[in-house]
Amino acid sequence: MANVLLIDDDVDLIAINSTVLKSRGHEVAVAYSAAEARRRIEESVPDAVVLDVMMETQTAGFELARELNQKHPELPILLLTGVHEATGVPFKFEPDETWLPVVEVLEKPFDPTALAEKVDDLLKRSE
Amino acid sequence: MDTLGVMVVDDEAGMRLGVQRALRDFTVRLPDVEGDFRFEVAQAETGEQALEAIAENPPDILLLDHKLPGISGLDVLSRLPEDEGRMLTVMITAYASLDTAITATKRGAYDFLAKPFTPDELRGVVRKAAKHLLIQRQARRLAEEKRQVRFQFISVLAHELKSPLSAVEGYLRIIRDGSAGDDPESYNHMLDRSLTRLEGMRKLILDLLDLTRIESGQKQRDIAEQDVVEIAREAVETARAGDEEKNLTIELHADGPAPLKCDRGEVEIVLNNLISNAVKYNRQDGRVDVTISRDGDTVTISVADTGIGMSPEDQDRLFREFTRIKNEKTRGILGSGLGLSIVRKLVSMYGGDIGVQSEPDVGSTFTVTLRDASEQADGGDNQQSAATADDA
Repeated sequence: MANVLLIDDDVDLIAINSTVLKSRGHEVAVAYSAAEARRRIEESVPDAVVLDVMMETQTAGFELARELNQKHPELPILLLTGVHEATGVPFKFEPDETWLPVVEVLEKPFDPTALAEKVDDLLKRSE
Repeated sequence: MDTLGVMVVDDEAGMRLGVQRALRDFTVRLPDVEGDFRFEVAQAETGEQALEAIAENPPDILLLDHKLPGISGLDVLSRLPEDEGRMLTVMITAYASLDTAITATKRGAYDFLAKPFTPDELRGVVRKAAKHLLIQRQARRLAEEKRQVRFQFISVLAHELKSPLSAVEGYLRIIRDGSAGDDPESYNHMLDRSLTRLEGMRKLILDLLDLTRIESGQKQRDIAEQDVVEIAREAVETARAGDEEKNLTIELHADGPAPLKCDRGEVEIVLNNLISNAVKYNRQDGRVDVTISRDGDTVTISVADTGIGMSPEDQDRLFREFTRIKNEKTRGILGSGLGLSIVRKLVSMYGGDIGVQSEPDVGSTFTVTLRDASEQADGGDNQQSAATADDA
C-alpha cells in the first residue's frame, strides 16, 4: 500500500486508473494538470507518480518529469504516452537520464491492470 | 534589399564583363513577392568550371552560353543537379537554331537570349526569370505551410478522437475484470460515462463534417428570406428540452421579426452552437438570454450566460480550431473544440462578425452579426468580399 499521484487532464482516465490502483489497496491522489501536480507535490511527496504527457501543452508531462527528477530524484515516475502512436515518430520513448528521467514508459492504449502492475513494480524497485 | 545570384558562363571575357555591367545597378521590384531584388554576378569561362562552382554555391539564375571550349552548354544543362526550382537557366546562343532551343528546353532551360543582345534585352530576360523563380518559390513555401497546418490539424484531431476511445476501453476492461469491487452502482456509472464519451465523439465527427462542408464550399446552400427570431425560438426550445440537470432559465428577447436572406441550416448551426455553449458552461439555476435584433441590413444575435466566464487571454484563443479552455472549472465538460470555429466561418460567410465579452465567474456574452447572403454566391470567400465591398 502506497500513496500514488495520478496526473492526467482526462477525468475518465483518472477515474479508470484510480479505480484499479485503489482496488490494489493504494491511496490515490489526483491532479488534472502539471500545475496542479506541482502544488500537490509541494504539499506532500507521494511514493510514486503516474504522469500523462499531453496536458496544458503537448509536452507538459515531459517538462514536469525533468523538473521532478531535479527536486525529488528518488520519486519513481511512470510516464503514459500516446505520442508515439499519434506522431508516428520512428522510435519509442524510453527512459533517459537527462531528457526523460522516468522509471518506465507505458504506451497508450493500455490495459488498466497492466498499469496497476507497472505501479506495483515501480514501488517494489524503489523500496 | 535581397540579392539574387547570377552566374554567366561564357568563354568571351567581353561578354562576361558586359553582363556584369548590365546588371550592376539593376534592381527588380516584384509587387507579388514583396521586395526589391538586386543581382550579384559570378563568372565561369568553361562548362567544367561552371559545374564545379555550381556544386559549391549554386546561383539563382544561370546565363549559359551554348558554344563553349570544352563541354557544350547543352552538356552542362544535362549535368546540372536536379534541384527543381532552385535555379533557372537562360541559354545564350549565337545562332538561335530551333534544334538547340528544343534540346535545351528538354534539358530544363527556362529561356533563351540570342547573341548579340543589348543590355536592355539582357535585363528583360533576367527580370522575367527572377519573377518566375520568386513566384515559384513563394508558391512552394505557401504549399508547405498549408501542409504543415493540415498535419497539425490531423494530429490534434487524432488525439481528440483517441481520448474518448481510451476512456471507453478503460471502463470496459474494468467492467470485464470486475476490478471496481462489488457495488453495481460503480459499474453503472462507468457505463454512463462511456456513453457520454461516445456521444462526445459523435458530436466531434459531426462538427468535423460541418466544418469540412463549409470550408470546401460543397454544401448546397438554400438561400431564402427567413425570420431569425423564428429560428432562434426553435433553438431555445431545443435547449430547454435538453436541459435536465441545471434548471436554467432560457429566454428569447426580440422586439419584432428579424428577416435575413440566409440558409436556414447555417443560422441554426450558429444559434445551436452559441446556445449549447451557454448551457454547457453555465452554473446551476443560471440564465441564458438570447436577444435578436435587426438594425438596417444587420441582424444581431447575442447570447448571454451566467456561467464560468473566462480570462482575457482565454478570450483571445477562443475561436481557433480545437481550442478548448482547460482549467478546473471546465474539467469534465465535453466539447469538440470545433463549435466556435464553425460559427466564426459561417459568420464570415454573412459578412458578419463574432465577439465575446466575458468576466470570470460572472458569465459570457457572445455577439454575432449577420447580413443578407447573396443568392448566387457559392462559397464563403466570395460572399465575404462582396459584403466587404458593400461596406466601403
